[in-house]
Amino acid sequence: MRLGAAELVESREILPGQWLQSYHAPDLASGARAGQFVHVRTGDFSGMVLRRPFSLNTADAATGILTIHFRVIGRGTQWFTRLRPGDEVDMLGPLGRPFEVDPRSRHLLLIAGGLGMAGVRMLADEAIRDGRQVTLLFGAASSREVYPSSLLPDEVEYIVATDDGSLGHHGYVTDLVREYEAWADQAFACGPVAMLAALAKGAEGRRERLGVAKLGRKRGGGKSDPVGSAAARRKAFLQVSMEQNMGCAVGACLGCVVMSTSGIPQRVCREGPVFAADELVWDGTWT
Amino acid sequence: MKAKRRVVTSAAGPAGARRQATAQRSRPSVVAPEPRARLEIRPSSTPRPPARPVVAAEDVDLTVDLGRGLVLRNPIMVASGTFGYGVEYGDVVDVDQLGAICCKGTTLRPRIGNPTPRVTETPSGMLNSIGLQNPGVNAVIDKYSATWAAWKVPVIVNVAAESAGDYVEVVRRLEGIPGIAGIELNISCPNVGKGGLQFAIDAGAAGEVTAAVRRATDLPLLVKLSPNVADIRPIARAIADAGADALTAINTLSGIALAPDRTRPLLGNIYGGLSGPAVKPVALRIVYEAAQAVKIPIVAIGGVTDLDDVLDFLAVGAVAVQVGTAIFADPMLPVRLVDGLADACARRGSTTYRDLIGTALPKRAAAPSSKGVEYRP
Repeated sequence: MRLGAAELVESREILPGQWLQSYHAPDLASGARAGQFVHVRTGDFSGMVLRRPFSLNTADAATGILTIHFRVIGRGTQWFTRLRPGDEVDMLGPLGRPFEVDPRSRHLLLIAGGLGMAGVRMLADEAIRDGRQVTLLFGAASSREVYPSSLLPDEVEYIVATDDGSLGHHGYVTDLVREYEAWADQAFACGPVAMLAALAKGAEGRRERLGVAKLGRKRGGGKSDPVGSAAARRKAFLQVSMEQNMGCAVGACLGCVVMSTSGIPQRVCREGPVFAADELVWDGTWT
Repeated sequence: MKAKRRVVTSAAGPAGARRQATAQRSRPSVVAPEPRARLEIRPSSTPRPPARPVVAAEDVDLTVDLGRGLVLRNPIMVASGTFGYGVEYGDVVDVDQLGAICCKGTTLRPRIGNPTPRVTETPSGMLNSIGLQNPGVNAVIDKYSATWAAWKVPVIVNVAAESAGDYVEVVRRLEGIPGIAGIELNISCPNVGKGGLQFAIDAGAAGEVTAAVRRATDLPLLVKLSPNVADIRPIARAIADAGADALTAINTLSGIALAPDRTRPLLGNIYGGLSGPAVKPVALRIVYEAAQAVKIPIVAIGGVTDLDDVLDFLAVGAVAVQVGTAIFADPMLPVRLVDGLADACARRGSTTYRDLIGTALPKRAAAPSSKGVEYRP
């Protein structure tokens, strides 16, 4: 975790109301991993007292450039769109725990709903760098909101679903998962809670449906790993990146929790934002 | 900055000695005015700057005694709930630069807290309804007290409970644990024994719970006032009379926010506590009133975002301030305020910050106002 100035290098509106910004922040970019996020301060503290959390969209240690992708939803995000190249912002990060890919996984299924693309985008870079195959399923309301394929690595198989059928599959992105769940060794998702809940439900019965044996020997005598641990995520078929209203983003305020199966609320900023899907409670009582 | 022992067994410990020593030291350093005759020879175009002793920032005495030997190296504290258990910010913030740390609200048994969303930004502030999520007093002691004992900064444990008996039990368990320098009572909790009425809004209940805790512990005891009351003065007096060492003012103001579609309140708990710059005028008013009602030290909290806010709270009678919500945006702020306060005193040619305290209070403690109803709902 580092706190420092990040200089805006490039800012553009890639989709209506959605922006992609590149910042030069070598200290933050060097250690960052897919799934982590940064907490950025707006310039107007007296009006907007909280920082804004953004998933890391890409981070390049060599150039020190990291990018964030966001939708304008309020005064804070509006403020960021008015920044010009050369402007500096105060950035805290990288924060949270990253996606954990099992070293044996060859085929990764990435599932993104709308702005959820911001949460899983960086994992595509990491997986391709490590020689894995990546299929990215993306769902949006209409073709107007479909993330441009030009912004993805060429190696990614990119499949789109739209609610209104204006591009790709007519329906939800979750409809597409069935076709790929046998191919995929692990799946990684980010998006609306309803989508993640549907995916978590589907992932529950996957082993029984497919009749696959668990790979490798059972380590640790079959004892379960503690919630939020890297091992718990690495062993899970489905990992999800969660979103929650956030205060401090370092684990001090306990504002951004999600309920876990252990009965103890887990901090999205500290134990998350990436959780194994079976670590969380999906009955909707807490969100 | 001179190192200062933080746990002293008697109130008349080194702090009192230091204060006298400082006063004596500052006197000879005042530059004596020159004889008038010589002044007239000077060219009239260059007016003489007012004589001021030259003071270096590191010579300014920022220590403050909150009673029962709780001596802080400086009057800048971090507020409960905004700094976790002091470990969360890691090496981003050097905790030993702080005056004190108030830890997250601690209860007898573990609590899972309120449903989400728990926080939201509001104009110039934020609402929170965490619901006192914490692992319980025993787990807090096991997990953090050894870390705290190794720090120079005193850690004050914020204690919450739903009955006087539970407050006493939590405080008993904290008593005598190395690393715990004091107690801050959060009395803005529903009193289950009195039909859910908050301790903080009733002078009788506030006094009773303070007295019960006072009997149970010799630890320095701060009691945190709620602003959601008609008149703070009888409550402050009751708490002071019951034996509290200091008051903290203020806790959050009760409020709600709406979901974007306006079909329901936004927060999972419906109600939240408002904090941040938006509450500063309310906090100033309550510190101003409490400072005239009681003689014990007052620790101010509410919307501190820069040095001017610190000076404002000192001027209305606070001896120390807590920084809360502003830490989320600017974790380095409390440490900068310590340096800023020392610099401000040095620029005024003063070796202590104590002459900044109470400058805006009426010269004579005013009789309780009979006009309160005119500006309070």
